[in-house]
Amino acid sequence: MAKNDLITRNLMLDSLRQYAKNRISFNLIREHDAKNEIPLDILKEMYDHNVLGVHLLLIPEEYGGLGGQTTEIYRVCEQLARIDLGIATGVFATFLGSDPLNVGGTPEQKAKWFKKIAHENKLVAYGATEADAGSDLVSLRTRAEHVIKDGKVVGYKITGSKMWISNGGVADIYTVLALAPGGPSWFIVEKGTPGFTQDVHEDKHGIRLSNTAGLAFDEVYVPAENLIGLKEGQGFLQAQAVFGYTRLMVAAFGLGGGEEAVETALEYAGQRIQAGGPLSQKQGFMLKLITPHYIRFEAVRAYIDWTAKQLEVNNHGLATEGAIAKLYATESGNKAAEDAIQAMGGFGYTKEFSVEKIKRDVKITCIYEGTSEVLEMTIFRGRWQEHLKSRGQYYVKQAEEFEALHAQNPDVGADSVALGFRALARVLEDCRVNKLTRHQYITFQLGDLITEMEVAAVFTRQCANKLVTEGSRFDLASLCTMARVNARQSAFKVASEGMRLVLGTCPAINTTELAQAVNLVAIEDKMRGLIEDMDVVSAKLRDTLKK
Amino acid sequence: MNIIVCIKQVPDSSQVKVDPKTGTLIRAGVPSILNPYDHYALEKALEIKAKTGAKVTVLSMGPNQAVAVLRLALALGADEGVLLSDRAFAGSDTWATSYALATAIRKIGAYDLILCGQMAIDGDTAQTGPGIARHLDIPQLTFCERIDANNNQVIVKKLIEGGHQIVQAQMPVLVTMTFPADYAPKYPSFLAAHKAQDKQIFTWTAADIQADVHKLGLEGSPTRVDRIFPPPARPKGEMFSGSAMELANKFVEILKKESIVK
Amino acid sequence: MIQISEKCVGCGKCVSACPFGALSLSNRKAVASAACTLCGSCVSVCPMGALSLPATGAVKKDLSSYKGVWVFVEIGNNGRTSFVRPVGYELLSKGRELATQLGEELCAVIIGSNISGYFAEISQYGTDKIYAVDSPAYQQYNTLAYANAMITLIRKYNPSVVLFPSTYVGRDLSPRISSELFVGLTADCTGLSVKQGNLIQTRPAFGGNIMADIKCPDYRPQMATVRPNVFKKVVTTPGRMAAVVNETVSVPVKAGTVRVLETHFDPVSAKDKLDEAPVVIAGGRGMKDKAGFDLLENLAARLGGAVGASRAAIDLGLKEKEKQIGQSGVTVASKLYVACGISGAVQHIVGMEHSEVIIGINKDANAPIFNVCKYGLVGDAKQILPYILEGLEK
Repeated sequence: MAKNDLITRNLMLDSLRQYAKNRISFNLIREHDAKNEIPLDILKEMYDHNVLGVHLLLIPEEYGGLGGQTTEIYRVCEQLARIDLGIATGVFATFLGSDPLNVGGTPEQKAKWFKKIAHENKLVAYGATEADAGSDLVSLRTRAEHVIKDGKVVGYKITGSKMWISNGGVADIYTVLALAPGGPSWFIVEKGTPGFTQDVHEDKHGIRLSNTAGLAFDEVYVPAENLIGLKEGQGFLQAQAVFGYTRLMVAAFGLGGGEEAVETALEYAGQRIQAGGPLSQKQGFMLKLITPHYIRFEAVRAYIDWTAKQLEVNNHGLATEGAIAKLYATESGNKAAEDAIQAMGGFGYTKEFSVEKIKRDVKITCIYEGTSEVLEMTIFRGRWQEHLKSRGQYYVKQAEEFEALHAQNPDVGADSVALGFRALARVLEDCRVNKLTRHQYITFQLGDLITEMEVAAVFTRQCANKLVTEGSRFDLASLCTMARVNARQSAFKVASEGMRLVLGTCPAINTTELAQAVNLVAIEDKMRGLIEDMDVVSAKLRDTLKK
Repeated sequence: MNIIVCIKQVPDSSQVKVDPKTGTLIRAGVPSILNPYDHYALEKALEIKAKTGAKVTVLSMGPNQAVAVLRLALALGADEGVLLSDRAFAGSDTWATSYALATAIRKIGAYDLILCGQMAIDGDTAQTGPGIARHLDIPQLTFCERIDANNNQVIVKKLIEGGHQIVQAQMPVLVTMTFPADYAPKYPSFLAAHKAQDKQIFTWTAADIQADVHKLGLEGSPTRVDRIFPPPARPKGEMFSGSAMELANKFVEILKKESIVK
Repeated sequence: MIQISEKCVGCGKCVSACPFGALSLSNRKAVASAACTLCGSCVSVCPMGALSLPATGAVKKDLSSYKGVWVFVEIGNNGRTSFVRPVGYELLSKGRELATQLGEELCAVIIGSNISGYFAEISQYGTDKIYAVDSPAYQQYNTLAYANAMITLIRKYNPSVVLFPSTYVGRDLSPRISSELFVGLTADCTGLSVKQGNLIQTRPAFGGNIMADIKCPDYRPQMATVRPNVFKKVVTTPGRMAAVVNETVSVPVKAGTVRVLETHFDPVSAKDKLDEAPVVIAGGRGMKDKAGFDLLENLAARLGGAVGASRAAIDLGLKEKEKQIGQSGVTVASKLYVACGISGAVQHIVGMEHSEVIIGINKDANAPIFNVCKYGLVGDAKQILPYILEGLEK
C-alpha cells in the first residue's frame, strides 16, 4: 500500500475534527478538567478502528497499522492539541511508548506487540522518567537483574520506580527503561504482572485529562523475550534515535494549543465592542496580543513541516532540528496562551472560556520531552560544533544563500535573514574568541538565538520558493508578509540580544565596533514599513481565522 | 445492481465570512467540503450496497482538487470514482453541467440507479439532477428523504408541499436526496481513508466522454450574468450593546414601544 | 478564462467584483487565474469594456417568433380539497407587468383534472389566455406526464417567457423542461424585469452577499422559478374572463413506471405556518444546539408566533428543512421578525426583509443582519433569551 498522500492526510484530519466536534464538547473537557479525570471512553473510542483508529498511525503496515509518516503524525498531534492537550498526551503516550519497539524491536517482537496494540486497541505508556532522571536519563536507577535457569538468562527481575508517566495508571502495556547488567535497556511489562503497581494519578496544573502516575516495580519478573531487541545496553541509543521525531510532535502540541488559544481570543475580540467597534479592529490590541503570535505560529509551522519532510527521507536523527522546533513552538504557544487570557480580560481568567485551561495545559509542552533549558543546551551544542568545524563560516554560508535568495525575491525578508545570520556568526565568533561559553547562561541564550534565526530562515526560504506550508490556512501573499515581519524581528533580536550577551560578559569589547560588526543599523533600517505589514497581517487574520 | 452517485465539492458555507466593508465574500482560507446533500445521497447508496452488494461509482465534475471529495466517497465505501476535469467544462451552467454528467454516465455504461443530492449548497438550483435524468431519458424522483432499492425497483419517501409521498419506480431511475433534520454526516476512519488510496479514480476530459463541444461550458450554457450588484443598502437601525440582562430589558422595551406586548 | 483586452487600465474594479477571487492586478493590468469560472460577473463592471467572455460561435436562433408570457399555474391538494396555489396568482401578477412591457399576452397554463372551475379566478390577474390540459390522466402530478404536456404546448405556441412556482412540483418539472428544450432556467428569482426585450432574472448569487441579474439572450423561452410570497397578488382585471384554449396531450407510456403508493399530509397548526405568522422568531448557527432552539420556541409561544431558521441552522440539523427562511426556503413578511444568532447572508435577508419590525440579536457587531434591522442587539442570543423570557413573565 502506498504512503498516505496529502488528500488522505486531510481526510484523516477532517475525520478527527468532526469526531471532536460531535463527541468532545467543551463541557465534557471542562468537567473532566475539574474532576482531574481521564475520559477513558473517549480515548478508547478514538482507538476504535471503525471510528478513527488514531493509534494505527504508529503501527507499521505489516502489523495491521497505517505506517504513518512524520507529516501526518505531527498534523494529527497539532489537531489533537487543538481539541485538548490532555487527550492529546494520552494518545501521544501510546505513540511514544511504541517507539522503543519501533526502533529496536526484533521482527518477532514487533509482530507480537504491534498486532496486540493495533487489534486490541491497547493503551501504551512510556516508562523512562524517574525522580532523579528526567530529561537526562544517565542517572537511571531502576534495575533489571538476570534470572538464570540452566545457565541461561531466561528473564529479568525489575526493581525500582518511575515518575510522571503519562497513561501510567491506565495503560495496558508499558515500555520500561531499566539498567540491566549489560546497560540501559527497554523492557515490555504488561499490566497485572505480579509486583508491578501503579501509583495514584497526579494532581496537575494542567493536562488534567491525561492520566499521569508513578510506577513501582518490586522484583517484577519479565521473560527474556520482553527485552526489546533481545540485546542489553541499547536503551539510550533507542531512546535518542527518536528524539528528533518525538520532539517534533511536542512542537506540534505547542503550536496547536497556542493556535487554539489565540483563535479563541480573536473570535471573542470580534464580538467585544469597545469604543464603537469590535476589539479585533483595534490596532493596539491586535499588534500587542494577537498578530505577533500568529506570525510565529506560521513560522514554526513551516519549520516543523520542513523538518518532518526531512525526517521522512532520513528516517531518524535531526535531533537539533527537533529541539529547535520544540523550543520555538512550545515557548511561542505558551506565551500566546498567556496573551490570549490577557486579550479576553476577565473572561479569559474564568473557566467559562477555554483559554485559561489551554494556558495551564500548554505549559507542559515546555517541560516534557526535554525542558526548554535542556533544548537550549542541545541546540547550542549541536550548532557550536558546526561553528567550530567550519571556522566560523557555518552561518556566513547561510547568509550568502539568503543574499542570493533576496536578489530573486525581495518580498520575503531574505535580506533580514542574511543580516541576522551574519550577526549570529559574529556573536558566536566573539563568544569563541573571548571564551564566553564558559558561562552556562550564555550557552542557553545562544541556543535561543540560533533557534530564532533558523526558524525565520526556513519560513523565509519556503516563502521564497512559493511554498504554502501544508496545513496553513493562509495564501502565499499573506505568508510572505508574515515571513517579512518575522525575519526583521528575528534579525533584530539576534543582533541586539547578541550584543547584550557579549557586552554583558566581556566589558572590554568596544560597543560601537560591535554594533557595526553585527550590522545593527542595517538591521534596524529594515524595520521601515514593519507596522504597516503587521496591520496587513492583522486584517488577514481577521478574514481567515474562523472557528 | 450498479449505482452512480453524482457529487460536488463546494466551499464550506459555515466558514464563509462576509467582508464588513465591501459586503463581498471572503473565500480565502475557506475549506472545501463534500456537498452535504451529496454526502447523504452517498450514504444512502452505500446502505443499498451493504444490503444488495451493488457496485457504487461516484462521479464528479470540477477542477483537479475535486478529487478530494471522490477520495472521501471511496473512503466511505464507494468502489470507483470518475472525475470530469477539463477547461472545456468551465463556464457551465446547470444545463451544460447536467449534459456533461449524463454523457459521462453513458460512458460509465451500466447503471440502474443514479443518486444525486437535491442541490449543491453553493448554487441552490436543484436543477442538475432532473437535467441528468432528462438527458438520459429516464424518470426522476426528486427531494427524497428515504430510499430503498431491490431487484429492479426503488421505493422512496418523497417530500411534497405540506407532506410526503411513498413512491415506487422501475429502474433505471434518478433520485435526488434531501437529508432529514437530525442528519449527521459520517466520516471515514483513518484506516478507511488510507485504504481508499488504492481504489481507482479515472479522470476524463470532454474528449474522453465524446461530448458535443457545443453543449459544454459557456457555449452549452444558455444563461449569462448581466451584472452583479450589492444588495440595496438600508439605513442602519438603532444598535445596542451591554450585558445579557440589559439587552433583554431593551428587547422587552422595544416590544412595548412597537405595541407587540402591552 | 475571461478575456482581457488592451483597453484595460488596471483600475481594479473587476478584481473586487470577482466572486471567485480569480482576478488580480499585475503590472497595472488585470490578469485572470485558473480559478476563473467564466461566470461573467466582471464584464459589466469594467468601465473600459476591456473584459469579455470568449466567443462561443453559437448559432443565433430567430427569436422573434417567440411571444407570450406564460405562467405554470399549479393545482395544490391538502388531502381534503384541490385549489390553485396562491403563488400562481403572484406569478400572474408579475407576469402581467412583464407582458405589458414586452407587448405580449399573459397566458396561464393549467394541467389537471376537472379544472375549469379555476378559470374565473385565474382570469382576474390580467390573464389574457388560459391553456388548459384537462384530463383524468393528469389527476395526480407525474413528472414525465406534466413535462411532456408542457413541452408539447411550448413547442406548439413558442412563448418568450415561462414562469414556474418554486414549489416541489415546480422545481421538479421546470429543469426537466429546460433540459429538453435547451434553454436557460434561473432558480428562485427574487426579482423579474425586462431589459432590451430580455427577461432579467435577479437572484442572490455565488453563495454570497451579492445579487446577480441573469439573462438568456440567445435562447427562448426564458424560464425562471419563483418562491411563494416573493411577489404580491394584484387583481387587475376583475370580472374579465380570459380566452380558454383546451389542449389534449396524451400521457407517455414511460410515465407509468412511477407510481404513487401513499400520500400523507402533516398536520399543521396555524402557528406552524411560517409564511402567515404575525411574529416570526428565527434562529441561526449562533443558537448552537437544540437547547438554543427551545428558547426560541418559548419566546414564539409567548408572543404567539412561529419559529424559523437560517440555512446554517438547518444544515446543523437544529430545525426541520421546511422551516428554512430565505431564498431557498420560505419567504416571510411578518409584523415582528426576531433574528437570533443569524449572521444575515443575503439568501436569508431576501426571505425576511419585508417584515415590518426586524430585531437582530448577534454577537458579531459587523454581522450583515444588522443592516436590515430596525433594532440591533449586540450580544449572545442564547444568553439574552432567558432574561427576555423572564422579563416577559413580569
